[in-house]
Amino acid sequence: MPRVQREAQVTWEGNVARGSGSISGATGAFTNLPYSLATRIEKPDGKTSPEELLAAAHAACYAMSLAGELAAKGSAPDHVDVRAVVTLDQVEDGSHRIVASELLARARVTGIDQAALQEVAEIASNGCTLSKLIEASAKVTVNAQLEGGS
Amino acid sequence: MATDRKAEVTWHSDLMSGSGRIDSVTSGAFGGLDVSWAARSEEPNGLTSPEELIAAAHASCFSMALSGGLAKEGHAPEELKTSATVTFQPGEGITKIALEVAGRVPGMDEAAFKQAAEQAKENCPVSKALAGVPEISVASRLQG
Repeated sequence: MPRVQREAQVTWEGNVARGSGSISGATGAFTNLPYSLATRIEKPDGKTSPEELLAAAHAACYAMSLAGELAAKGSAPDHVDVRAVVTLDQVEDGSHRIVASELLARARVTGIDQAALQEVAEIASNGCTLSKLIEASAKVTVNAQLEGGS
Repeated sequence: MATDRKAEVTWHSDLMSGSGRIDSVTSGAFGGLDVSWAARSEEPNGLTSPEELIAAAHASCFSMALSGGLAKEGHAPEELKTSATVTFQPGEGITKIALEVAGRVPGMDEAAFKQAAEQAKENCPVSKALAGVPEISVASRLQG
């Protein structure tokens, strides 16, 4: 398959403590999202952050991977809901690190039980490019639950 | 103090013919963004993708780190314009991230700006989280 490129642009004005920036994706799907240090590490106050964008990327990547793995097992899902929570923490030297991304998937799918779903959910994380990258420096956890009767 | 940011995604049906939506995020800054495998791996047609979101996460993280590094050297920037281009090879993963930054930074020369950009690339939390990407590059230039 051909290589795919995706681009985003950011403008930042001023210093870290009091400055602010704005984030846009080249597709136009999101534009001029404001962000700042205060809203990144304290209350978000309606503003996104690098970690929130990473959470969105990870959840979207993982949802696709899980849908693909379930379909490969002959159990294409009606739907999967995926939540990703990315944690930024201050480490010993005072710098900030992304320390965890926690995935929770709820799947409405027939022909598969809870134990098998959890197994597929873990395989799907191994198949998601972002899980593999994040795992090198942070903790990735995966939990899956069957939704409704099946 | 740890900070959590959450995103929620719904996906319908299988990978190839199904579709998904980034429903909501902690801040509420964006939501209702559609995604699909076709838009991710071929022409985007206005849809975002994990790779575009990574580009946004990395460019925003890098810009903040560079601003901090420059201020430490006594040269807080007036403006930094950054782009990140993420290369995705289906079946393989993210193979490259190219950062480009143009800065208006009073009292700074090109060599020092380049060094600060390299440091921001090494140290920003998203760079560290994505350190497994085979190639992460940064090109920097000052503008008048």
